[in-house]
Amino acid sequence: MKAGFWRFCGKPALLAAALALLLLAAGPGWARSLTVSRPNQQLYQEPSFASSPLKTVPQGAKVTLIRQEGEWYKVDYQGTVGWLHRQAVPEAAPAKVDLSRLIFGGPVAETKSEEVALAGKGFTPEVEAGYRQKNPGLNYAQMDEIESFGVAPAQLEKFIQEGGLNP
Amino acid sequence: MRPAVLGAAALLVAALLLGGCAGVSVPLPAAVQPAADIAVKTGAKAVRASRPISDSEEYYVGRAVGARILARYPLYRNPEVTRYVNEVGLTLARKSSRPHTYRGYHFAVLDTEEPNAFACPGGTILITRGLLKLCDNEDQLAAVLAHEVAHIVHKDGINSISQARWTEVLTTLGSEAARQYGGPAGQLVSLFEDSVEDVFKTIVVNGYSRSAEEKADREAINILRKAGYNPGALAAVLMKMQGKEGAGGIYRTHPPTQERLAKVQALAPATPPTGEELVRAERFKKLEF
Ligand SMILES: [Zn+2]
Repeated sequence: MKAGFWRFCGKPALLAAALALLLLAAGPGWARSLTVSRPNQQLYQEPSFASSPLKTVPQGAKVTLIRQEGEWYKVDYQGTVGWLHRQAVPEAAPAKVDLSRLIFGGPVAETKSEEVALAGKGFTPEVEAGYRQKNPGLNYAQMDEIESFGVAPAQLEKFIQEGGLNP
Repeated sequence: MRPAVLGAAALLVAALLLGGCAGVSVPLPAAVQPAADIAVKTGAKAVRASRPISDSEEYYVGRAVGARILARYPLYRNPEVTRYVNEVGLTLARKSSRPHTYRGYHFAVLDTEEPNAFACPGGTILITRGLLKLCDNEDQLAAVLAHEVAHIVHKDGINSISQARWTEVLTTLGSEAARQYGGPAGQLVSLFEDSVEDVFKTIVVNGYSRSAEEKADREAINILRKAGYNPGALAAVLMKMQGKEGAGGIYRTHPPTQERLAKVQALAPATPPTGEELVRAERFKKLEF
């Protein structure tokens, strides 16, 4: 965390700071690009899997981060603004931006923020690991097996069509 | 946050116009400090105080509940039956009002004669061979699965975690210890364990409330209609379960009371199978369970 004030002498520096602040206040804050590293991710209308998917985001796609809310990122992908779940960009550490560098044109450093990390915490894979250690008799192996069950879209389509069901 | 930054900037401009540089350190208001950082901090605080359980947390609880059920009932490993149940289930889930969950819907069959079905929070639905046998055809199986999907849609399982317990989770997350050591202290694991127990009690031991059942039936009928199944199949399968209310299994977890049947009948009465339903019944008949 940087000190809460800077020493200045000279109007240009101050003016630059003021201008930068105005820009910050007016604009989206900062633009950060994220790369989607999982296949077939959806952009949702709301930060919830229950909301309508807007668009499929392919693996490798670059999206612009607008803001973060819990485990969801509001992003712009090819002009469509929507919500992407954290799972789509697992390596994206929650970032905080060093404003002084942003203002003075230095490299923008991103550091992992403990606070942000905590906000997303709760029942996590780490908690599951602790629970499994405490309860070795549980059948997680079969749960993993079940989670691997799926039906390819083309197969499902065929099943629906053959059964006279609604596509 | 923005107005504060705007205010700070305006102040700074005003100070410049009025006094110029006094050659001293200019304390910038707190808002000017890494604004993003502060935004995040206050945001996090609000989140910690009252956020609901997230989709991924629901998933981890559901996985634990499933792993507990699977420690009790073996999995029925018949690839054709498993695929078929997933086909029917996914056909329904995509027409529900919660078509997507954190890691999606998955369906599996348990190798037991006891008729029962479990909707693990997050989207894994387990149905027993005993309940498959009780269904006459695909539409009745669809009715049973649609009712289970409805419990996922309504989060009836995950909502069994008491508010007090969840508040304790959030308090633990916000505590100094959690902040300092980052990792989940034993307390969080214990709270997770208790949460899993809350859900397990509802979906395996005690059963859902009458109102949760009625709501799930209504959603199930909607799902069946939207998917193109006969919505009357739910009443048909409930009729087959009448008179066994004292029994265990599904008679306890999803009590098929006369009242429930009457409400379902009023919404979608059982009707004799039509052409396409008969086609579906044929593919159902070919399976072994
Ligand atoms: Zn039920």
